[in-house]
Amino acid sequence: MAEIRIKNLHKEFGVGSDKVVALEDVNLDITGHSFVSIVGPSGCGKSTLLNILTGIETPTNGTVEITSDGHVAAPGYVFQAARLLPWRTVTDNLMFVQEDRSDDTKKRCQRYLEMVQLGDKGDKFPGELSGGMQQRVGIARAFSIEPDVLFMDEPFSHLDAITARALRRELHHMWDETKKMVVFVTHDVGEAVELSNRILVFAKGGRLEDDIQIDLPFPRDPADDEVAVAKAHVLRKFEELDLLAS
Amino acid sequence: MTVTETRPTAAGGSPPPNPAQRLTALPAKIAKSPLLARVLFPVFLFLVWELSLIAVEEIWPFAVDVLPTPSEVGAFMWDEFITDTLARKNLYETFFISLRRLMSGFAIAMVLGTAMGLAMGLSRATNAFCHDWTMAILAMPALAWALFNSIIFGFDDRGPILTVILAGIPFVIVNVREGVRNTPRELFDMARSFQVPQSKVIRHVLVPSLMPFMFAAARYCFSIGWKGLVIAEVFGGQDGAGWTIKFWYDAHRAHGVVGYAAFFVIFAILFERLVFEPISRRAFRWRPQLQTEVVEEAFGEHHEHYGEEETARR
Ligand SMILES: Nc1ncnc2c1ncn2[C@@H]1O[C@H](COP(=O)(O)OP(=O)(O)OP(=O)(O)O)[C@@H](O)[C@H]1O
Ligand SMILES: [Mg+2]
Repeated sequence: MAEIRIKNLHKEFGVGSDKVVALEDVNLDITGHSFVSIVGPSGCGKSTLLNILTGIETPTNGTVEITSDGHVAAPGYVFQAARLLPWRTVTDNLMFVQEDRSDDTKKRCQRYLEMVQLGDKGDKFPGELSGGMQQRVGIARAFSIEPDVLFMDEPFSHLDAITARALRRELHHMWDETKKMVVFVTHDVGEAVELSNRILVFAKGGRLEDDIQIDLPFPRDPADDEVAVAKAHVLRKFEELDLLAS
Repeated sequence: MTVTETRPTAAGGSPPPNPAQRLTALPAKIAKSPLLARVLFPVFLFLVWELSLIAVEEIWPFAVDVLPTPSEVGAFMWDEFITDTLARKNLYETFFISLRRLMSGFAIAMVLGTAMGLAMGLSRATNAFCHDWTMAILAMPALAWALFNSIIFGFDDRGPILTVILAGIPFVIVNVREGVRNTPRELFDMARSFQVPQSKVIRHVLVPSLMPFMFAAARYCFSIGWKGLVIAEVFGGQDGAGWTIKFWYDAHRAHGVVGYAAFFVIFAILFERLVFEPISRRAFRWRPQLQTEVVEEAFGEHHEHYGEEETARR
């Protein structure tokens, strides 16, 4: 079981008059089989938080710890932009992040490409794919290492509604079956309520404003009363924060 | 052209256009094709050449003895082609000698220039230390190097080779340095988050991202080096392409000078077509928007470009 422990996390960029506070005194524990969604307005530090958790950025202050059964957890990261190697084929992009080149690994990669409906695109270069297809390759890449914790930064926002819904279902299945942890950034409150058992609301300036537990059974139907109520609750929270900000 | 005309071909399964339609479309297609424009250019050139000879003859009849006609140049080039020459070495020996020098200088300039460019791109201090003299070498005309090297080394290979190195190396340095500065940060970050080992990152991220810059460096180095080499051979050689054009000049054979100059151009184009283009097509398969036209232009034109940008940036 994976565990994330964040203590007094503070992150700022730049110095002097250029200084931007991206995260301010965030304290947070995520444990076990959680699906945590992070919502909040643009620029509130969501991507920065994921970057710190995956070791791309270092905190200005405070500590983060990600462990899985006592050892350092292997993260998978779906970036806000696909971040593929343009000079490698789709298959080689997946192989790039693998630990070995065994047949099993290759089969696994192919399986995840099929999951995102790109099974026949393995030999293409990213430049030959549409933006949405590239994003799906990014999703397959993160899934293909079967990580202890899966971080996703607005993975479905560039996809059409039908593809997005199919992938949401896949994501939920994977989370349900593997009992892994997912940390999911989104702008879409409906999406957050549909998928997660916990929603973190961030406000401008990088403050963690609210921590909402959603204990409804899966699968969740947006038309369902309880789901609609939960969504309305999060949206109200949002509006309050917006009022505070302006 | 209308939408209804293009749509059936895109869809694929449509009835073929009737023959009459095709026939009328053909001239329009040819007129638009770059191939025709290309073929027309030499025709146009020969026409202007002949006409201007006639015009000059009208004004100044004696000049015609000196000015070469297309047929004289053509005959000269053919004789050279079948190795029937008055010069000491035939066309192939001559170009082989020059090519050997060019390749030696090119290889040295690429290796040294890449090392310097990497160092300057990675370290601010190294860059500050080397920047000004790189620009100084860049600003120096190849002619000055050629003269200088022929004074020092006399008539052996070292002068021309050193000229190639000095003419080419600044372009390698500047291009490689730009490549290092433009490495894709977000891809390195991606690799770090997936805990990809360093050696793999170098092989699959760093090196491929440098490739376009290395390739530009090689092209510049080759074309500038070639021009420098020819000049160096004029002053400090006893054989090679530069020396041979000087030979025809000394012999007062204008058609020889023009014909040999044409060989230079052919040599450069052959090299571009047979070496650089195939390599570039293979190396940049992943760049679907790459157009070969752009690649062809690289020969000759762009080299001032980097120099200007550099001075502007300072
Ligand atoms: N590398 C950086 N250098 C300087 N400032 C940065 C950097 N990365 C992020 N920031 C700043 O930190 C703040 C938070 O950025 P972040 O990308 O985390 O926002 P976000 O919540 O992901 O927004 P969005 O929803 O638009 O993706 C912003 O003000 C941004 O300008
Ligand atoms: Mg973001």
